[in-house]
Amino acid sequence: MKRYDLIIVGAGPSGLSAAIEAAKHGLTVVVFDENHKPGGQLFKQIHKFFGSKEHMAKIRGFNIGEELLKEASAVGVNVKLNATVTGMYGNKEIVVQTENCVEHFKADSIIIATGAAENVVTFDGWTLPGVMGAGAAQTMMNLHGIKPGKRVLMLGSGNVGLVVSFQLLQAGCDVVALVDAAPKIGGYGVHASKIARCGVPFYLSHTILKAEGEKFVTGVVIGEVDDKFNVIKGTEKHFDVDTICLAVGLSPMSQLLKMAGCEMEDNAQKGGQVPIVNEYGETSVEGIFAVGDVSGIEEASSAMIEGRMAGVCAAEYLGYCNKDEMVKRHTKLEDDLESLREGMFAPKNKGKNIELTEEGIPVSKSLLKKGYISEDEVESFPGVTHKKGLHPVIECTQNIPCNPCQDACKFNCIHIGEKLTSLPVVNEKSDCTGCGMCVAACSGQAIFLVNEEYDEENATVTLPYEFLPLPKKLEKGVALDRSGNVVCEAEVVDIRSTKVFDKTNLLTIKVPKNMAMSARFYKNLDTQV
Amino acid sequence: MNNVNDRSRNIGPFIPESDDDMIICRCEEISKGEVRKAVHDGMYTVTEIRRYLRCGMGLCQGQTCSKTVKRLVAKECGVSMDTIEPATSRAPMRPVAMMVLGNEIGGE
Repeated sequence: MKRYDLIIVGAGPSGLSAAIEAAKHGLTVVVFDENHKPGGQLFKQIHKFFGSKEHMAKIRGFNIGEELLKEASAVGVNVKLNATVTGMYGNKEIVVQTENCVEHFKADSIIIATGAAENVVTFDGWTLPGVMGAGAAQTMMNLHGIKPGKRVLMLGSGNVGLVVSFQLLQAGCDVVALVDAAPKIGGYGVHASKIARCGVPFYLSHTILKAEGEKFVTGVVIGEVDDKFNVIKGTEKHFDVDTICLAVGLSPMSQLLKMAGCEMEDNAQKGGQVPIVNEYGETSVEGIFAVGDVSGIEEASSAMIEGRMAGVCAAEYLGYCNKDEMVKRHTKLEDDLESLREGMFAPKNKGKNIELTEEGIPVSKSLLKKGYISEDEVESFPGVTHKKGLHPVIECTQNIPCNPCQDACKFNCIHIGEKLTSLPVVNEKSDCTGCGMCVAACSGQAIFLVNEEYDEENATVTLPYEFLPLPKKLEKGVALDRSGNVVCEAEVVDIRSTKVFDKTNLLTIKVPKNMAMSARFYKNLDTQV
Repeated sequence: MNNVNDRSRNIGPFIPESDDDMIICRCEEISKGEVRKAVHDGMYTVTEIRRYLRCGMGLCQGQTCSKTVKRLVAKECGVSMDTIEPATSRAPMRPVAMMVLGNEIGGE
């Protein structure tokens, strides 16, 4: 039976990170993954990530995946694909199924990084073709280049539901509604705003009553629920759709750990059955670690740090580095991880009703209910200022761990400070040159460059634009406000796409002066339906 | 023995619901009514339900329905979901063709 120093199950963000860290310390590492491509969910993530430079913020997920693969191959990590681990035992033996055989392997240490599976909800017609997980829709679009449908209803307003809705719009689908049984939007406000300004309506406190259709989905009926989640009679609404996406959470795929005798717990906060792990990610079975979503649902950035932590701990456990070295590295990683677990959406704040930002500003109620900030609310945030000439307007109103905008501005217009979750402040004394680096750097697409006095009658608004085909200079269309309503005519003054913007195009539109603080999106009614 | 598994508890009679014919386990085509009835037949754990009905033992190995089944059992028993013992995990975790299973390398 072949033996390794370290076996890792799962070549996603946490598994690869663990493999890199361990291999750097000299361990012989093998990673098994059941898929035919490595990277886990990373290669489906076409959006820019949040966080700080250390967390690879403002880099698109699939590019982070490429980086990880390069790093892994440079340090000699052996990734075995199409290799499904079907069993694990407490003596650190695993069974791997490949194309035509099942093979046993042993290791001195094992790191489980199997990730999670999508949850479903059941309703009348939920087994019809056309009902699918949001992650499945993402796989179809972003890996296989197939549109999941033409008209889509999304259930679930967490970050997955919001991000995938935006990607559906990018792929050219109509998202007819975003529905959630909860009374407020679960994911980042900036993600919600991106789809609200494209005109996607939010139905909070609503649930799906049934999917219609004989052989496949042809429609959907939703209804409003009361505070006990009972459907209120007479509130039914029908939509013609061919696709229903479910983004209703993830469940850790922790069966291997349970099989190996690791102590488990049922933890609703973490998404279900998870192993009980110590600060190093080690389970109750010595030398078996669990990292990433399998030990509690979070996101890719924290999964990568958890992976590195377990990697260095496995190295220490097997004597490839000393305890001091491990603790030093671990402390650094722990700090990185803690900074990601701060803010309104931190795991510790799950389910809490936060009414004020860290700065003491009332959180936008409209943002939580409808997906966009109302015009009077937006003025209370430190990123929103007014002055003569060009200036950034930062509609970032919730404390999330993210700061690329601060680094992007070389002219000190934007200040966040030491605390990653602080709201960006626009420094009115600094002069904005209009370079647009902040607009492109903002993973939440929440920064606009506004010139309130472009000429006698008009203002200009520069907005991040990630749709194809790109509008052409001097073409005329309409401007949409934060809710997606058409508010005025607009002319394209400029469209900028450079390599540093990394595929976020900067679209500058000319609108009447009084629309400078309203116009937030552009549509060409001839080329877009 | 925890009281969740206490078979002498009275969980009341089985009351039919309008959506009892809704499929819960797609792989094995088990309906909501069948799962609910199984609880009233005395199956108070997910493991028992699996053996009794085969739900969660098909192609996806319970990846899709296990939470839903757990929720149904909890509701029928009138207890919270986290008190319901989860199903046993055992190899093989994924479906394996017999031909492949027979071709074993490195086992004892």
